[in-house]
Amino acid sequence: MTHTPSRAGLGLAVAAAAMLAVTGGAAFWYATQRNAAANPEARADMTVTVGAETCDPQDITVPGGNRSFQIVNASDRPIEWEILNGVMVVAERENIAPGFRQTLTVQLAPGEYAITCGLLSNPRGTLHVTPSDEAMVAASEVTLRKFLGPLSEYRVYLVMESARAVKAAEALRDAIAAGDLAAAQAAWKAARIPYRHIEPLASRLADLENAIDPNAAYLAGQEDDPGFTGYHRLEYGLFGQNSTEGLGPVADRLVADLADLSGRLKGMTLDPALLIALPGAMAGQLATAHVPVGENRHAGNDLEELQASLDGIGKLTGLLRPVLAGVDPALEGDIAAAQDKAEQDLAGLRQGGAWPSYDQVPGDKRQALAGSLAALQTALDRMQPVIGIN
Amino acid sequence: MIAPLLRSAALGLALAGPALAADPSLDLVGPLSDYKIFVAENTAQLVTDAEAFAAAIKAGDLDRAKALFAPTRTSYERVEPIAELFSDLDVSIDARADDYEKAEQDPGFTGFHRIEYGLWSEGTTKGLEGHADRLLADIRELDGRITALTFPPEVVVGGAAVLMEEVAATKISGEENRYSRTDLWDFDANFEGAEKIYTLFRPLIAEDEADFVAKVDGNFQAVKDVLAKYETPEGGFVSYEELSDTDRNILSAKVNTLAEDLATLRGKLGLG
Amino acid sequence: MRLAPTRRAVLLALGASTLALAARAQGPVPQVSDAPAAEARDAARRVPFHGPHQAGITTPRPENGLVASFDVVATSIDDLERMLRLLTDRARFLTEGGPVPDLDPALPPADSGLLGPVIQPDNLTITVALGASLFENQPWLAGLKPARLQRMAQFPNDALDPDLCHGDLSIQICANHRDSTMHALRDIVKTLSEFLVLRWMVEGDVPPVVPDARGATPSARNFLGFRDGSANPDSNDAALMDRIVWTGGPHEPGWAQGGSYQAVRIIRNMVERWDRAPLAEQERIFGRRKMSGAPLDNPDGTEHHVPDYAADPEGRITRHDAHIRLANPRDVESQRHLMLRRPFNYSRGVLPNGQLDQGLLFISYQADLEAGFIAVQNRLNGEPLEEYIKPVGGGYFFALPGVRDDADYLGRALVDAARRT
Repeated sequence: MTHTPSRAGLGLAVAAAAMLAVTGGAAFWYATQRNAAANPEARADMTVTVGAETCDPQDITVPGGNRSFQIVNASDRPIEWEILNGVMVVAERENIAPGFRQTLTVQLAPGEYAITCGLLSNPRGTLHVTPSDEAMVAASEVTLRKFLGPLSEYRVYLVMESARAVKAAEALRDAIAAGDLAAAQAAWKAARIPYRHIEPLASRLADLENAIDPNAAYLAGQEDDPGFTGYHRLEYGLFGQNSTEGLGPVADRLVADLADLSGRLKGMTLDPALLIALPGAMAGQLATAHVPVGENRHAGNDLEELQASLDGIGKLTGLLRPVLAGVDPALEGDIAAAQDKAEQDLAGLRQGGAWPSYDQVPGDKRQALAGSLAALQTALDRMQPVIGIN
Repeated sequence: MIAPLLRSAALGLALAGPALAADPSLDLVGPLSDYKIFVAENTAQLVTDAEAFAAAIKAGDLDRAKALFAPTRTSYERVEPIAELFSDLDVSIDARADDYEKAEQDPGFTGFHRIEYGLWSEGTTKGLEGHADRLLADIRELDGRITALTFPPEVVVGGAAVLMEEVAATKISGEENRYSRTDLWDFDANFEGAEKIYTLFRPLIAEDEADFVAKVDGNFQAVKDVLAKYETPEGGFVSYEELSDTDRNILSAKVNTLAEDLATLRGKLGLG
Repeated sequence: MRLAPTRRAVLLALGASTLALAARAQGPVPQVSDAPAAEARDAARRVPFHGPHQAGITTPRPENGLVASFDVVATSIDDLERMLRLLTDRARFLTEGGPVPDLDPALPPADSGLLGPVIQPDNLTITVALGASLFENQPWLAGLKPARLQRMAQFPNDALDPDLCHGDLSIQICANHRDSTMHALRDIVKTLSEFLVLRWMVEGDVPPVVPDARGATPSARNFLGFRDGSANPDSNDAALMDRIVWTGGPHEPGWAQGGSYQAVRIIRNMVERWDRAPLAEQERIFGRRKMSGAPLDNPDGTEHHVPDYAADPEGRITRHDAHIRLANPRDVESQRHLMLRRPFNYSRGVLPNGQLDQGLLFISYQADLEAGFIAVQNRLNGEPLEEYIKPVGGGYFFALPGVRDDADYLGRALVDAARRT
């Protein structure tokens, strides 16, 4: 019900305008800082008055770090005030009534931002955040809080991809039950992709791993071993024996085991140390085991699966790199480069836009790919001492 | 967002209330990720609903388009704290005429409320085809961006209070859906979105904050009881105009108190 | 550092008055954005919260005041009791002052912070009154409504805006400084959000005047430029107040003894038009000299001279329809219609037609609403002043009896009575 800006508000706005006119933005910043120091109750670093058409000041420069802005609405309609990084809203105060003021405190990294000023059609102001010791300390500090986003996002990925793995295995089971060999072969290849995505963590659940993804080479009885179950047992039947015969119970078991896996992954407690360890371990496993000898000796679709594994590693590094960037930008660059190299090596093996069967890939190419994956592992393993926390 | 510096400076003071955890716990990961899954389900639904809504407009089916307007919006309103992180899309999808100098006649006025204006105030689907295409494209883009986004934890937890503030500021007064008077649909969706967040994080505080959760539970229930009176048999809501003054006051009081209480959730979870 | 000269330059740019102020002060030279210097004495002044009657009624009026009207969300007598106890606690703390509790900075602060870490009493009073709708809408309050309490009805000159009228509960907040009234209102809105939904709020002030040699000040001027309150009864005369302000007697419910009826009127003044009216016309409309406030039959007197209408039966000097003659004809009958007025001037920006939205936040207290405000307003209906004023809102309320001590709370007698029925 208040219609006019308070007298105090106008006073501040006049003061802000006068100082800006006399001294320019930077000096204004220091002056307000000094004022704030002299008056411990005034908490805001900067007052921004939003009028009918513009912000005052319209172009702001502040040092990086934790900054507070007092927003005064000197227009005659309710406004919201936002700090934008590109299209992303970094922080906002909504519904500031005419004549009212609100304070917004936000952690700002150095860079260029935009500020909104009332009506959407009004020109936006600029917020220039300069590098500062405070911003550097904030960026380089490794806290549990910085891992909450990445850990949560990875859990979402595990939940979504394991659900996809169950669905894909059900499609495979149905094709086998229908006795449709071609459909079952295609379904088998498709079913492997989501599993490879989550393999960095799924392979750590030993009991399920042994049921879902055992390799006949490691079993005493090889293909005839009663412990030979899961994906590769189905691969052996579908691609080695070209038959769906007798595979029904194996497929049923796989679906059940994947459903079990999905529930276990959902219930697992993820922590930063685990998240940091997963991508390097996976890259190492690919470099030392999968790439040199191959894994899908009957289906031969190893390259496609390697791509899925690299995607799974990429998901992890994509989540960790923002944490790393503030602490050790050089290492972040090294990891990005090593990952690009591995991706390029793999992409170089494509023939005519498709993946050749793995037995077509000569030894030296395998060695080169294994080498770049080992280099990726080396880079990834350097993360633990840098951003690892207990 | 309170800087570590500020917090450590404040540690020297004697605090009147209980001291809160300075850092969040790993227990937040479960609810945070469950919330993203909730959001993903909603944006997927939003895409599906927007397709049907756009199709009705382009087929010139005014009645069907009007019937689909409110239910389509609900998936957006439920996840508004996340959806509005993308300022360009939020403006394009959900800005109101007030945000523009020339109000309804402004060429920049697009999205849900522009279509609402056309369907109700102008009484036709004519001329809305382009807006429908754009809305659908924006919503698909939003779905993709949200999938790729790592949700900031403080935005998720703070979202419960943000939704209640949203209701207190624009839904209680019936100014959001001024042409269609379907405000109660939005109100209910905002409310569900806030309750979802609260419910996900509630187990982390229930033991230590028994009085707090009892009060918040009670106020959520009170809002539900009032809203239930205005539900239609089809699962929708009657016009905002049928909301009685008494019930509007109850909703207003409860929503403001929820906003007040939920604003402490971040601090209670170490995300102050 | 080059800051000091820069700031001096700003001061220079802002003109001589600031410099004059600066020169007068001892100590540091004030800066343009520094707070104006306050009198420490004013801020420390405290109006006792406890007593047989609420403060803020016969208490001398400070510079700032507001009235906020709320709808009450309470579904039981227990809700009402919780609300009244909480409201009492806040009013007791705010009027007595004290340090604001420090909470963990990760939480929203306990206080808006408008007054800093320690609340100064600043002459703050908080006066709580109930509207007729509260009694009419709650079955558990049936039969307990004060005898004269009713919904404000439209008078002929009114143009009532429903968004500025009525309410279940009103809170009048007065203090030396506007920050204190606003701080108290925000505290109440925040802490009582569960029970109170704001309907409307109007704030105003009265201009302070330098006291004369005896320490007396004249009545303050309203936005029409006339002194307002010249004929107000003496609020220090306890016996008079018992008769005209405080409720009592067998016709009122037992719980309602020692309260007072509060009439609030938001009266817009058409100030542009008024400023274009001839001075003689303005004075005839009011029945007083504009500058001195003297009655027209004693043009060299003061505002406190009592006009002799018996000597002017034809209305040649003071017209029969002059505002002060209608409001108080100074006859035996008019003694029955006295009330205590406590108005503030409000200014709320610009109306859509480009005119200033200014006027009078009229507040009066009386022992009998019908014999007091309603009777007087009915006499005023049709007065020539109506051309320049337009009541747009307000409402009638019943100010609760006082809070006696720390164990007591506002409206306790009402809650107890409701429990008995």
